[in-house]
Amino acid sequence: MIPHPELQAADFTPEPSTDSLEQLSRPSLSYWQDAWIRLKQNTRAIISLYLIIGLAFFTVLGPFLWTKDPSAQDLDQISQAPALPKTALLVSDYEPWTPPNVQGHPAEPAGYPDNLDAVTNFATVGTPNTQSVRFTWSPVQDAGGYSIYRSESKPNGLQGLGLPLETLTAGNIVGFEDRLNLKSQTYFYSIIPTDGLDEFEVVTTLKVTPVQSITVSQALERGLIEASDAPGRSVSLAFHPFGTDYLGRDMLARLMQGARVSLFIGVVAPFIYVLFGVFYGGFAGYLGGKVDQFLMRFADFVVALPFLLFMILFKIGFGIGPGESGVLPMLVALILLLWPSTARLVRGQVLKIREQGYIEAARLLGGKPSYLIARHIIPNTMGVILVTLTFAVPSAIFTEAFLSFIGMGVAPPTPSWGSMCNEGVKTMLSHPHELFFPALFISITVLAFNLLGDGLTEALDSKMRSRE
Amino acid sequence: MLDFDFHDIEPMTMPKILILTLLIVAFTNPVMAQSVDAAAQTVKIALAQEPPQLNNMTATDQVSIFVLGHVMEGLTRYDRRGNLAPGVAERWELTETSATFWLRKDAKWSNGDPVTAHDFVFAWRNVVDPKTASQYAFILYPVENAEAINQGNKPLTDLGIQAIDDFTLKVTLERPTGYFLKLTAFVTTFPVQEKFYRATGSAYAADSKDILYNGAFRISDWVHSASLKMEKNPNYWNSKAISLEVIDAEYITADTRARLNLFIDEKIAYTQLDGETYKDALNNQFRIKKFVTGSVYFLEYNYRPERITHNKKLRQAIQAVFDPDEFVNKVLQTPGNLPGASLFPSWIMGVNKPFRQEYPAVVTRPDLAKAKQLLREAKAELGLEDIPPLILLVSDSPTATKQAEYMQGMLKTKLDLDLKIDVQTFKQRLAKMTTGDFDIVGAGWGPDFDDIMTFGDLFASWNLNNRGRYNNPEYDRLVRRAMNSNDPEVRMAAMAGLQTIVHEDAIILPMYEQGVIYLQHPKIKGMRRTVVGSDPDFTYARIVP
Repeated sequence: MIPHPELQAADFTPEPSTDSLEQLSRPSLSYWQDAWIRLKQNTRAIISLYLIIGLAFFTVLGPFLWTKDPSAQDLDQISQAPALPKTALLVSDYEPWTPPNVQGHPAEPAGYPDNLDAVTNFATVGTPNTQSVRFTWSPVQDAGGYSIYRSESKPNGLQGLGLPLETLTAGNIVGFEDRLNLKSQTYFYSIIPTDGLDEFEVVTTLKVTPVQSITVSQALERGLIEASDAPGRSVSLAFHPFGTDYLGRDMLARLMQGARVSLFIGVVAPFIYVLFGVFYGGFAGYLGGKVDQFLMRFADFVVALPFLLFMILFKIGFGIGPGESGVLPMLVALILLLWPSTARLVRGQVLKIREQGYIEAARLLGGKPSYLIARHIIPNTMGVILVTLTFAVPSAIFTEAFLSFIGMGVAPPTPSWGSMCNEGVKTMLSHPHELFFPALFISITVLAFNLLGDGLTEALDSKMRSRE
Repeated sequence: MLDFDFHDIEPMTMPKILILTLLIVAFTNPVMAQSVDAAAQTVKIALAQEPPQLNNMTATDQVSIFVLGHVMEGLTRYDRRGNLAPGVAERWELTETSATFWLRKDAKWSNGDPVTAHDFVFAWRNVVDPKTASQYAFILYPVENAEAINQGNKPLTDLGIQAIDDFTLKVTLERPTGYFLKLTAFVTTFPVQEKFYRATGSAYAADSKDILYNGAFRISDWVHSASLKMEKNPNYWNSKAISLEVIDAEYITADTRARLNLFIDEKIAYTQLDGETYKDALNNQFRIKKFVTGSVYFLEYNYRPERITHNKKLRQAIQAVFDPDEFVNKVLQTPGNLPGASLFPSWIMGVNKPFRQEYPAVVTRPDLAKAKQLLREAKAELGLEDIPPLILLVSDSPTATKQAEYMQGMLKTKLDLDLKIDVQTFKQRLAKMTTGDFDIVGAGWGPDFDDIMTFGDLFASWNLNNRGRYNNPEYDRLVRRAMNSNDPEVRMAAMAGLQTIVHEDAIILPMYEQGVIYLQHPKIKGMRRTVVGSDPDFTYARIVP
């Protein structure tokens, strides 16, 4: 038999309370701290976050660091690809030039010659520069004119002569001036004699590399030189690290200005309509019943409204005249038409949460509705709300890009990334950088917001809480 | 022709796009279809579209005019070098009040009947008949009573045309019309045999057998919407001067890309290029040719008194900073366009030489200091501290915004003037131009007939195409003087005065003369591009071996 120990009164005194028992082995983590830890482990999301912060700096601080006027046209550097700074020769202002006319040489042949000799003494006059390239040659017997071509690659006989620059219809005019969009690169000029109508099968080709140049008045206008500077010296041209567009406007400055429009629409519109959707959906979900039915049917009605049509109606309704920016009606249309999806999500969430046991418990313990909403319902829907917001941002940026692409958005000369793409796509093959940069910025922004949204979904999911 | 809008090479104006998109195909080798064949003198052409109307009295589109120009002939025609030459009429006499034509006796219809003066009387009456509703009836307005008849106020028989005998035609003129002869080379004035027309009834010109031909070619085979073949007309009076045996439009497509591919495959020997396709043509090492279409593009101001642009100093300030040379070379960037200098394009003929050679337009280099001074004066006259933003109305064509943006940036930098760009569709732009809902509009004008007057009367106070409501009695007086005279010297002097007014009053800001580029097989010789009428003209073309 096991002897019973003698029970004493002391045995029934409570154990003295020590903190060490209640002590948690790990630091207490709030919901947000936990979410942040899990987000930090998601490399993609963190890179995206840095990208978004970088974009914010680019948009807000960029214009203070890169002070070029985004609408200033630099016609000496049209469609310039990204390159290092260039220098140019300062030349005097352009003066029209009259090509030489050979006295005594007939302008038109008497009949229709069967053969013509090739042009001889085809040479440039003066120094060829990017303002003008001037030529002269010896007149050809029986010629009724000359055709002049320009190619960027060496022609192979009569093949690949390139752009037709001029068709002179007099045999005695023996000069020509090319000013067509000259760049500082090698050109092959070809000249073919004609009988006034048809070209003959003889060609003379000349290789010319014009010197990059700028006229005194253009340089003065852009503040590149002092008024006392004389032609002949070298001038540093404006530097365009991202190149220029089809009117010689600085791409970097335009991207920064365009980012303001794109990110303004992309951030402000979703923020407002998500906020509205949260209140609307939360209200409907919490009250439930007939009110909920009514509110949600109204949300269904709004979903059915066509966005583009309303965008146009708002534009008219706002009295946006021709040539004025359509950004404000775009913002209003986005806010008024896109909130129902958030409202639906939040309502569903609220309906679910309010039936949960802990809510019942809180209510039984005397929690007031305001306490229930603030303490339990909103924090539990926060994950959904944030995720909706991060996914709404790229879709709004896309919408802006699309509307500007079809001409419903910003008014020139204000750029937005979408309108820059629209212009760039026209010269996609010849000057790809005009499309590439705005498209790249749209892509990066949209991707960054999407990846961040993905990361947030995982981080804010309470079921994932405290998992390692 | 209707107004056009800013364009560079790619977009042709709507009416022109039809004509300029013809393609030619020929055989180089009797077995394999290739683009040219010298032995058979065969040319196949592909059209931009099915000719919608081969009845010359009502045809308005460029494809129909192209076909008709080859298969029919008027009193006069254009020769190889583009000069006016005898057609059905052997010789003529033009006075202030009338024109008499003596028809050649060997001009025959394709059914063997001679072409007589009665055929012209019938056709011309039909053109001005209100029941015919020909859009080009106004071409005949210089003929006595034509306008009244066309508006239904007089009977058809009052038209000032009469057949004195089978081969003598007398036309009475409403007023002296110096360019009347040029009108007789236009398709609307071509003859129609009454007997044949009555016999075919409403089917006239519906198919190849439903037309009588009197031109250098005749339609031998027409598969609607698929192909159209023209063969040399043995009955043509001058057939020995025609080298080509066959012009065969084997393809009908409006797709420039498809046509370029056909050209690359040597299935066609001619195609127009646009901004989309010319780089490919360059890459394929083709020899590209260029042609000035004849259209002039300019900025037109609104002269209604409530508009700021009625202020002359403001317009002159804009004129003083705009550099058409820079615009053409740096902004348009495509070859073929000429810098604008005048309302009159450089190809318009004067007395003996091109008008612009006889009366050179004033070309001023941009002068910023002068422009700023003019702008200050304009502000003082208007009593304004700042000029409010001006509305620049343009079409939504692919390059219009680019050109408008250039103007916007240029005026902002140089004069601190604000422009708002109003982009509208072609139709909507015309509507806004008509109601005067603009300050400045990007407009253009293409010639209807080969005379300076097609441009000259554009800003006459009565002209409905004067959308800005420009009203200057001196301008009107000069237009009237040129209209009422037969003497080229007097007419051109009046037009020179008008050119000066256009410049000094800065009525318009000439921007450019439009040029286009195209590909042509090098073995085709003598193909002529023309500004008015049948373009391109193969009548005197030949294929060289």
